[in-house]
Order: sequence, then structure tokens, then C-alpha cells
Amino acid sequence: MSLKIENVIPIPLRDKVRLYRSDVWNCKVEFALGEYVFVQAPSGTGKTTLVHLLYGLRKDYEGAIFWYNRPLAGDKDDQIAALRTSKISVIFQDMRLFPALTAWENLEAKRLLTGTVSEQQVMEWMQRLGLQDKRNALAATMSYGEQQRLAIIRALLQPFDWLLMDEPFSHLDHANTDKARALIAEVVQQNKAGMLLADLDENRYFDYHKTLML
Amino acid sequence: MSAIQNGILRKLLLGGGGKSRLWAALVALCVGASLLLVSVAIWSDFNELLYGKDRNDAIGSTYMVVGKRVTEQNMGTAGATVFTDAEIADVRKAPQVQDVGLITANNFPVYAVMGGHLAFETDMAVESVPDHFLDQMPEDWKWDSNSHDLPLILSSQFLDIYNYVFAPSQHLPQLSERSVKSLAIQLKAGPAGNSETYLAHVVGFSDRIGSVLVPQSFIDYGNRKYAQRLTGMGPSQLILKTKDPSDVQFGKYLQQHDYNTNSQNLRWSKIRSIVEVVTTATGVLAVLLLGIGALVFILFIELTIARAHASLVLLREIGYSARYLSRFMNRRFVPLVAGTLLVASLITMTGQLFAANALKTQGLVLASLPGMAVWGALVVCLVMLLVLVTMAIRKAISNG
Repeated sequence: MSLKIENVIPIPLRDKVRLYRSDVWNCKVEFALGEYVFVQAPSGTGKTTLVHLLYGLRKDYEGAIFWYNRPLAGDKDDQIAALRTSKISVIFQDMRLFPALTAWENLEAKRLLTGTVSEQQVMEWMQRLGLQDKRNALAATMSYGEQQRLAIIRALLQPFDWLLMDEPFSHLDHANTDKARALIAEVVQQNKAGMLLADLDENRYFDYHKTLML
Repeated sequence: MSAIQNGILRKLLLGGGGKSRLWAALVALCVGASLLLVSVAIWSDFNELLYGKDRNDAIGSTYMVVGKRVTEQNMGTAGATVFTDAEIADVRKAPQVQDVGLITANNFPVYAVMGGHLAFETDMAVESVPDHFLDQMPEDWKWDSNSHDLPLILSSQFLDIYNYVFAPSQHLPQLSERSVKSLAIQLKAGPAGNSETYLAHVVGFSDRIGSVLVPQSFIDYGNRKYAQRLTGMGPSQLILKTKDPSDVQFGKYLQQHDYNTNSQNLRWSKIRSIVEVVTTATGVLAVLLLGIGALVFILFIELTIARAHASLVLLREIGYSARYLSRFMNRRFVPLVAGTLLVASLITMTGQLFAANALKTQGLVLASLPGMAVWGALVVCLVMLLVLVTMAIRKAISNG
């Protein structure tokens, strides 16, 4: 199993999650490599918290998260950095781009760290998602939709076994959602990776193997 | 790390420091480091001038000639004022004594003759001291058994007595040092039947030793070749190099052993203690200033990192490790520290060169490059600053 969650309860949600039945919180859940998982999470149930816990951004939880049978809480900074550059990638709900950098620089900051995707490939992906004219635009000046598409491309600029997504298309219209979804599916397949998508409502963006209620 | 990535990280992490703040921090560090190195150089130079083995001994040490007091009890006893080996060894251990030289007198007849306008003939005595006790070392101060030219060093007092006392009373011309040096004196050494005549020249004047000095090699040779008796072969006077002759313990030592010396020499120049206090105070001040300089520089680094906090967090979120980012920051700040210390050492080198040239005109010899102590301080300073800077960077980034 590449990802295992054992009785995890986020401390800030401790009282709340004990009041209802969740498929994730306070449960033992295992995910095999290559699985497509959809986590449906009504507002306030800790969707973003789950993604952040799995990505190692937060440590305020009870229970244990295992990546490749190693407890995430015990990982040192270098191990977490290695995980984030070669095993797990993420699309944040709030995009988390560098506002002072251009669109291209935002992508280069990631691409040059891992060195696994060519410049040509990035330009092609920008074109597919309609960002070819935004190359030199500052991220701070781009619309939310553009920023979200840029964040999607950035998440694909590394090798990964798992792609974590937190409402990845929340700022996109149908046409752009289709384009972004197709690109993600293609790259996830190339990497023979699994995905975990957390969203508010039921969706058919991908052919999920597993759907869990948070 | 590619140039583009370097540029991106530079924009994200180093944009918040401000150039003027960086320059202020560098200047503070440079001033602190320069003061430290300069104070070490000053300390090292004063040590060299005051206590070094070079020709600057006269500044830091007082030389004095001591002998056993001639009393009614010992005045008739041959060799009574001669120092034994045990006594010499004891003097070496006496308080404040840094070095002891034996003053060796001739143990054979010496007869000087000079013709011409200043004609005279006289019996005389000569002495020798080890060369490093001379207050000046004339270039031609050497003699070997094949040489018939004999260099002499005359006490300046002798010339003063001649010029200010003897010459006016005898209606003789006064003589400058240069004219005395040009005189040739026939010097006959040894008893009748075993004597040789040498052509002696005065090559220098001594303020330190009130005698007629010849090279040690000549006295040793003469005492072996011409000596008529073995008694009195040892030294009856010693020349002492002392750090502080005014020391009570040293005075007591002389008194207990009944050694006499020129009591005028027992004064102590206060300048040495003042210099020691000044160099120590400068050193303490320099360490404080370097500390402040280092603190300002480290605070600048911490401020730069704190201002880049948001970028730093995001970089770590997309996979940059703290180690990677620390390396980037080190690559930025370590050369600045090294460059600043290079400037500080250049300032110190310039100061040393300037001091060496300035003191040369006063007859003092200083190396034109800073000594090992300065380079040692530079290395210690560099290592300490690098450790502090890299630790500060690592800590600030890990906490970021």
C-alpha cells in the first residue's frame, strides 16, 4: 500500500467529526498505487485539511498517516521535500502561486527543481490550457481561472505516484475544466499514478475507483 | 542550480533586504573585522618592538652592566670579582632578566699607538659582548684570525669626554664621529715576544656599554693565544637584558648578591605599561565591535529571510528543502563575509606597510606585512563568522 490512513482525526475538528460517520476520519483506509479516489466533502468537514495532512503541511492530528509504510509524522524535512518532488504532487484550492513572479517563472521554479519535464512540453501544456499569452504576466495580475490553470500545470511538472487535488476546477468554466481534466488524466496515466480528488459535490471528472464521504 | 532558477530564488528570497541595509551591515562587519585585525597587528608589532629579537630591543628592554662590588675584603684577591658558571646560571633565573651576556675582557696586554697630528701611545683594555647585545651592529663588525684589520666600537661617553673635557683643556681639535671613524690606530696585542700588530678602526659608537669593544672572536683568539695567566679568565661583568629593572624583586636580588650597576638604569619607562594597556583595551574594543558587526550582519540575514517568509513557505510547499534553500542563502552570504574579511585584511596590510615605513625613519624595524598572529586572527574570525552565518541561515530557514 502506498498510502494508509489510520484513525486520523484533525485536532481542530475533533469534536465535530465524532458526531457523524465519516469514511476517512477516525477510520483505517488504505489506497493502492494507481487508484483514483474521490473524497466527497460537504462544506466544513475538513476537505482542505485532509489534503494538507496528506501532503505533510499540517501536523495537528491524532492517528497516523503512512506513505509507503513510513509514518509521515516521523519524516525529516529532507524526506518530506523528496516526497514532494518525486512521489506526491498537489493542486491547492487556493492555488498558492508566487504573486511577484510571472506565470512562466512560477512554472520554472518547480520545473527546474525536478528537471523532468522539458520547456517545450510546458509551453505545449500552457497552450492547451489557453495560457500561451500569459507567459510574462505577473501571477498577481491573472484572473482566478488563469491562476488555477497555472497551478494545475505546475503540479504536473514533476514525477509523482499520487496527485492530490483540492477543488481543482472550482474557478474554471466547463470548457476549461474539460481541457484541464484531460491534461491531468493524460499526465497521471503517463506517470502510472493514483489520484485523490476532494470536492464538495459528486462529479465525474475522472473514472474513480473509490468514493469516500468525508 | 541553473542561472534562471538562481534568478527566481534571488527575486523571491533576497528582494526584501534592501541594498542600503546590506551595505550598512557589510560596513559594520568590515569595521569590526578591520579593528580586530589592526589591533592584533598593533599588539603583535608592539610585542616585536618591545620584546622581539630584532634590532628594536632597546625600546622594550633595559640593558644594564652588572659586576661584583669591589670591597676592602675582596680587593686583594685575584679573580674575586669573576662570575662563576653557577652564578651566571643563577642570574639567568633572576626576576625580570630576559637574557644574560658575558662581558669578556682581554687577558693579555694591549697597546695602542697613533701617529700624525693626534699622536698618542697608551696601554689599554678591550672587551667584547655577544653581538645581539650591541645597540648597533656596524656592517664591518667581524674579525677572523687571518685578518689584520680590527674593528672597534667606542663608548659614546668616551668621545663626549674627549670633545667636551679633554680637547678644550689641551687645545686639541674636537672630533666628529665620522672623523674618529677615519682614524687608523696601531694596536699591538700580546706580550713581548708573542705579539701581533693590528690596524684598528672605530666602526661605531655605543650608548649601552661604556667600554672599548672588539668582536668576540678577537677576544677569544687573543685570550687563547696571548694570555699570560689563567686566573681571571672568566667574565667579571655581565650585561643583562631586563624587562622591568624597577621591579622590587630584581632590586632585592642585586642587593642580596652585592652586585653593583648603574642605578640610573633602574628607572623604568612607563611607556611599556601604557602600551600594554592601550593594546589590550584596543583588543577588547575590537572584539566588541566585531561582535556588534557580526550581530548586525546576522540580523540583516534574519531580516532578509523574515521578509521572504511567505515565499520561503511556498517554496518549501512545492518541494524545496530547507537544506537546498540554506545552500542558496549561504552561496549569497558566505562570499560577502569572505569578501568583507578580505577588505579588512587589505586595510590591515596597508596599515602595517604604512607603520613599517613611518617607523623606518625613526630607526625601528617592522615587517612590511602583518605577522602570523594577524593571519591566525583572520582565520579564526573567518571560521567563526562562517559558522555563525551558516547557523543563522539554517535556523531562520528551518523556522520559516
